[in-house]
Amino acid sequence: MEDVSFTARAGEVTGYLGPNGSGKSTTMKMITGLIEMTSGVIVFEGEPIQRDLIAYKQRMGYVPEEPHLYAHLSGLEYLWMVGQLRNLPPNPTAERIDGMLRLLSLHSDRHAPISAYSKGMRQKVLLIGALMHNPDLILLDEPFSGLDVGSGLVLRSLIQELAARGKVVLFSSHELETVERVCSHIVILHRGKIVADDSIERLRTLMELPTLERIFSQLAVEQDTRAISREIADLIRA
Amino acid sequence: MRKHQFRVLYQQFLFRAVDLELLSASAQGDISKLMGQFASLLVFLSMLAGLLGLLFGGGDMPAPQRLAATWAFEFLLIATTMLVVGMFAVLSWDGMFPDRRDVLVLAPLPVHAHTLFTAKVAAVATALSLTVAALHSFAGLVWPLILVPAHSGVLGVIRSFAAYWITMLSAGGFVLCSLLCIQGSAALLPRQKFLRVSAVLQIAAFCLLLCVYFLEPMRVTPEALTASQNRQLLAWLPAYWFLGLFQALNGTPHPALTPLAWRAAGGLATAFLGAGVAFLLSYIRTLRKIIEEPDIAPGTRGGRWLPRFGTPPLTALVQFNIRSLLRSRQHRLILSFFLGLAFTIVILYVKTPLAQRKLVDTSGESPWHQVNVPLLVSSIVMMWFAVIGTRVVFAMPTELRANWIFRITSLVGVPDCLKATRRSLFLLAVAPVWMIWAGVLLWLWPWQPAAGHLIVLGLLGAILVEVCLHDFHKIPFTCSYLPGKANVYYLFFVYALLSVTFLDRAAVWERNALQDSGRFTMVLLVLSILVVSARWRPWELAQSEGVELRFEEMEPPLVLELGLYRDGTLPIEPPSA
Repeated sequence: MEDVSFTARAGEVTGYLGPNGSGKSTTMKMITGLIEMTSGVIVFEGEPIQRDLIAYKQRMGYVPEEPHLYAHLSGLEYLWMVGQLRNLPPNPTAERIDGMLRLLSLHSDRHAPISAYSKGMRQKVLLIGALMHNPDLILLDEPFSGLDVGSGLVLRSLIQELAARGKVVLFSSHELETVERVCSHIVILHRGKIVADDSIERLRTLMELPTLERIFSQLAVEQDTRAISREIADLIRA
Repeated sequence: MRKHQFRVLYQQFLFRAVDLELLSASAQGDISKLMGQFASLLVFLSMLAGLLGLLFGGGDMPAPQRLAATWAFEFLLIATTMLVVGMFAVLSWDGMFPDRRDVLVLAPLPVHAHTLFTAKVAAVATALSLTVAALHSFAGLVWPLILVPAHSGVLGVIRSFAAYWITMLSAGGFVLCSLLCIQGSAALLPRQKFLRVSAVLQIAAFCLLLCVYFLEPMRVTPEALTASQNRQLLAWLPAYWFLGLFQALNGTPHPALTPLAWRAAGGLATAFLGAGVAFLLSYIRTLRKIIEEPDIAPGTRGGRWLPRFGTPPLTALVQFNIRSLLRSRQHRLILSFFLGLAFTIVILYVKTPLAQRKLVDTSGESPWHQVNVPLLVSSIVMMWFAVIGTRVVFAMPTELRANWIFRITSLVGVPDCLKATRRSLFLLAVAPVWMIWAGVLLWLWPWQPAAGHLIVLGLLGAILVEVCLHDFHKIPFTCSYLPGKANVYYLFFVYALLSVTFLDRAAVWERNALQDSGRFTMVLLVLSILVVSARWRPWELAQSEGVELRFEEMEPPLVLELGLYRDGTLPIEPPSA
């Protein structure tokens, strides 16, 4: 990562894009405090997060790229544990968990061990865990991974709804179509550097390109995709 | 094509005995280090056995004594081989048969089931051979020379070597195949039932192996072997069968051992056949079931509830510790290993003349119903092993990559984490042992001395817990594991064995104190002071500045910094960059 500096504002969804290995997940982990930075500072509401990391973590929700969960716990036990670790009051937390499990169609499987969950079910558990404490900063790293169409649509609206209620939402994804629909602001990362940081509308106008896909291709995709696909097809035929 | 596939699969299966996800990131890929530790332990045992062989001065003994001594050593070597191979089979229980990961990775590939099957069998056979080879690397060179029949020449030496190695491999093969046979038969059950039964079978096999090894009587004189009262017992102890097999192969058959040799041959054939059928059936019948059904036993609704253990974060940590230990088969097995050892040491101790004398000393009608030293020592040994075993298990992670949730929600610092670990140790180790002994002692003894010892036992448990918490700045089950630190555990066993002698004396002292209220009050006072001082040190360390929760175990630095910056002067402030 080199000279990465951007701002995610409250009330809007910031899309964080980049090819594989560009540093998206690393940035997310830095913002969550999972990885320590060698230099630089992350500021939340005008304060460096290191000043009171615990208070900051209480106001942050995070959905990681990989759904690593404690598979020997049931979905309900896991969510209870997360609530307790965040020191949330028991009664409203129980209601919140129960309600979210119902809304995300996970209620009937709440007592099953997570090891028996599909990828989409695990993703829903992560999502509930990230939102149950009503965070002000929401970090979503590939949140649509494994979700079925219905749940994907719910999540898409939810992200917009949360931003409309004044939350800061930083959203990383490879699904450009979704990003285009959900995000008002995008940051494109390439080889550890920011190559674009603006609203989608302005980028479209500036670059005179009709879609986010075309903008992304021009800024972050160096290869001739058609040539590569032709080469792969030739290789497997050989 | 098939040969190449076989080679790749064989290598993969062979090195799957250890779960790499347990290891610290800095130790990842260094599986050779962990394997090397196991191998060095076996080679060390082999060197001890070889040294005993070299020191064995059987030449001067009268023939009957020499015969009994050599049979005793042979028996011990065979029994140890069976124990070690059995332990290997129990520890790599899940790696013996195809699991969900095998099926999911290999099923879409064009690999023939036959190739899978042969690769797995070859890997198991190689692992068995390597284990036996490491265990007999020295002993297998020395003992065949001692066991050569008199005046048999070079051919006799060659025959002795062949007999020795065939016997050891057969004994190991018998144990391994028997366990495979049992596991394979259980695999015929519906998958969910199998997962439940398999966990119980694994621990049962483990306990059986330990009990048989330490408790089987040594009847290795011709008189004892031929005695009618022993015949039925010997027919059920496989180590004697293989003693008979060795004698038959070595050309020194004895009428008392010949029937046992036949039993060894029959048992071996049955075990091989059973294991082969179990393996075949598992590949034919269970592969599809593995894909179709989840790879975890379904939980029951009852027993999910756990009480609160303080603030919500503390409750979360203690409940997580309890659930992790109760639901992780691997961790339960390691704890069973410690409890099994404690049980063995207790039984061995109670059988010693030292303990037996003390039982007679009480000279009542029933010495067990009076305050006696063997029970005092046994309760303390059980407490010792339960606490240390649980602490060791706490240091081994479960689902290491899922620990991110503790890192990003961590409202607890090291002091709170210590509190949670202390409560977990009390709940999972001290309380169960204390309650079992409360039942035993209150049933056997008058209530006053029983209650007195239970207070002492509780205080000793508390001291042990505090000692175990020293420098334990991590959430149990969430920090990676560094294999090099396992040396501590070998030392621990040595200390534990030495401590039994010390405990015996301390228990005599406690028995006397239980009959004298003044002395007993003094004992309680001293133990209470020890509890407080033992508690103070971890607490002080946890409060010190810069102490953080560890999630990654690190190697100690090769170079130790002394913090001297200018010609031996200790700086008041670190030098500016």
